[in-house]
Amino acid sequence: MESSRFIVLPAPLIHEAPEHYACIGREGFHKRAKSFSYEQGAIDPVNVYTPILILGILAFGFAAFSIIIATLTGPKRYNRAKVDAYECGIEPTPQPMGGGRFPVKYYLTAMMFIIFDIELVFLYPWAVAFDQLELFGFLAMALFLFNLAVPFVYEWRRGGLEWD
Amino acid sequence: MNPSNYILLSAVLFSIGAIGVLVRRNAIIVFMSVELMLNAANLSFVTFARMNGNLDGQVVAFFVMVVAAAEVVIGLAIIVTIFRTRRSASIDEPSLLKY
Amino acid sequence: MNTGTFNPPEIDYLAIAPILIIFGTAVLSVLVEAFVGRTARRPVQLVLVIGSLLVALYFVISQAGTRTITANGALVIDGPALVLWGALLVLSLLGAMLMAERTLDPSGDVFAARAAALPGSEDERQFTQRGWVQTEVWPLFLFSVSGMLMFVAANDLLLMFVALEVMSLPLYLLAGMARRRRLLSQESALKYFLLGAFSSAFFLYGASLLYGFSGTVSLPGIAEAISAKPSQGPLLILGMALLVVGLLFKVGAVPFHQWTPDVYQGAPSAVTGFMAATVKIAAFGALLRVMYVAFGGIRWDWEPMLWVIAILTMFVGSIVALVQTDIKRMLAYSSIAQSGFIMLGVIAASAEGLSASLFYLIAYGFGTIGAFAVISMVRQSGGEATSLSAWAGLGRTSPVIGAVFAVFMLSLAGIPLTSGFVAKFGVFAAAIESGDTWLVIAAVVASIIAAFFYVRVIVLMYFSAPAKEPAVVAVPSAFTTIALAAGVTVTVVLGIIPQPLLELVANADVFLR
Repeated sequence: MESSRFIVLPAPLIHEAPEHYACIGREGFHKRAKSFSYEQGAIDPVNVYTPILILGILAFGFAAFSIIIATLTGPKRYNRAKVDAYECGIEPTPQPMGGGRFPVKYYLTAMMFIIFDIELVFLYPWAVAFDQLELFGFLAMALFLFNLAVPFVYEWRRGGLEWD
Repeated sequence: MNPSNYILLSAVLFSIGAIGVLVRRNAIIVFMSVELMLNAANLSFVTFARMNGNLDGQVVAFFVMVVAAAEVVIGLAIIVTIFRTRRSASIDEPSLLKY
Repeated sequence: MNTGTFNPPEIDYLAIAPILIIFGTAVLSVLVEAFVGRTARRPVQLVLVIGSLLVALYFVISQAGTRTITANGALVIDGPALVLWGALLVLSLLGAMLMAERTLDPSGDVFAARAAALPGSEDERQFTQRGWVQTEVWPLFLFSVSGMLMFVAANDLLLMFVALEVMSLPLYLLAGMARRRRLLSQESALKYFLLGAFSSAFFLYGASLLYGFSGTVSLPGIAEAISAKPSQGPLLILGMALLVVGLLFKVGAVPFHQWTPDVYQGAPSAVTGFMAATVKIAAFGALLRVMYVAFGGIRWDWEPMLWVIAILTMFVGSIVALVQTDIKRMLAYSSIAQSGFIMLGVIAASAEGLSASLFYLIAYGFGTIGAFAVISMVRQSGGEATSLSAWAGLGRTSPVIGAVFAVFMLSLAGIPLTSGFVAKFGVFAAAIESGDTWLVIAAVVASIIAAFFYVRVIVLMYFSAPAKEPAVVAVPSAFTTIALAAGVTVTVVLGIIPQPLLELVANADVFLR
């Protein structure tokens, strides 16, 4: 039986333990499934997704509520900056044909964003299985974050975070 | 849904990327085509993970995303340097090196 | 296996100490860049780089004879890996020496004062005048070396891909940082990057198809799946082909060689020497491991493919090198031709083939890094004199450097009493033993063609009148001198008494599965 050589993540969202979840075993799978207090072998996907649905409704409701309440209660003083496309003050000048120019600093910011943003993708699977990964998982992630902090410190010390 | 459709899609994406690298002339677009190829490989990894029934493929996809991000940064740095020097991102223009 | 608990991988930290040391020092040297003052950075970095390479080398030597599979089978430290580690570390040390050189160029360092400054701008002039140096090259260098070490020990396509990128990404940047001829240098970085990224996408897609075929990314797992499944099917063959294309790009085999001449010419000679020697070793190490461990069971399927590529590589490399007028470009085509010869050892698919390839790689590495050391010393007013015509009569005006370069050329041509001869003999013998006689005959013809252009340089140096604007040999500091001396010593000693190294590689002729 083929098993995953890297990390083992149980899959509580699947109806029935597939043949191949040998890594935790059928028993392990169902034990895990039980711990979600569903009946063995018959996990209802509707029930499983209900919390997510509720969260979605809550999020949407909060956003709608904020917008409505802000339009009702907020002061309305229009000036030039307010009607700009970006309130931070950047002029959205029309770009000439062939691309036009903008400061190379944008690229630096974009690059930093990409690198530090994407590296965090490892945190998600780690966080999901954090309770099972024991000390090894914790130390590995700590080392990873340290390694991620090093270029950040370099960037900061060498003035990469200063706009001017 | 038949998973082999995803494999087909990934093969198509990979081919589009490869053709893009070969025929496009703007360094940024060539570079985007390379990224398309990497993501096609990712799609194929994830689909095969589903078909094979283990998680290795999904783990690989995570690593590929991160490596691709590092590649983007390096690539952009090089392309921006060239652009600033030559005022163009065409890969036909840098042609000092010939036999 | 039926447990719900997580089993942390068992990692033999001692066995992988060389990788950890180099990688840890690379991280440390990023911190040095952040916290140490501008003037102190260079000496601190040099101490770190040279120190870490030596310590890592000590750990490699202290492990001689041990065989370890660690990190859940993802890393294999076996005979070939240890030999390649040793070679990579020593050659990186020599490469670091070349990169640290700063007396050859009157304006200082090998690298641009600020890689980000526009070529020809006022900023650039000021930075150069102030004597600034780009010390970021050292962390980049160390990351690249750690990637190489990981690449030759990776037993797993995922780790191999990550190692490939860790090795290559810093090299793309290093290629673009030359102090002189910056446009050429930047152009070479762009080409190297685009084609390198293109090739790694092929590698990855091949890996995904192989994963689809076998359900695992580990090399022994793929081998198992191949022997277990009765029909091979398109997934396996296509995946293998794409994977090998990705590796052949790095090796510089025809028809995937287009980047080689441009990058070798444009990159600073120090970087070219380092890269030409070590990347070739690392890429061939990985290619050998993939071919022997994962695809050993279907060698009848891949041998015809590599036959064609080996013959093309040898002939295109040798013939195109004949008409080159730039010495760095000529050496680039020579390195392509050499790839073809090393491929004979891969095709042999035997223990002899493996150990002969290892020997060839080591001999080639030292010869190449030495040749580029000489190139970095031969200069004209505008920088290095890479045009072949400027080298005319060099053997008479500076006999020592002429003689040293002649030794490297003879070795690359495979003339007896140099390491190149022993190396070529080894791979040819291994190929004949495996029944590839026709391939060896083709290789002999190709090496005769190749000998022409190597000897042409020697003739040019000794029997031509000096050019109108003859190149002069700059006096190097201890750094380049050490690298050059090491290169020439190894080349000659391996030619005369190859026995110790032959025994070493003969003991390292099996990949651990």
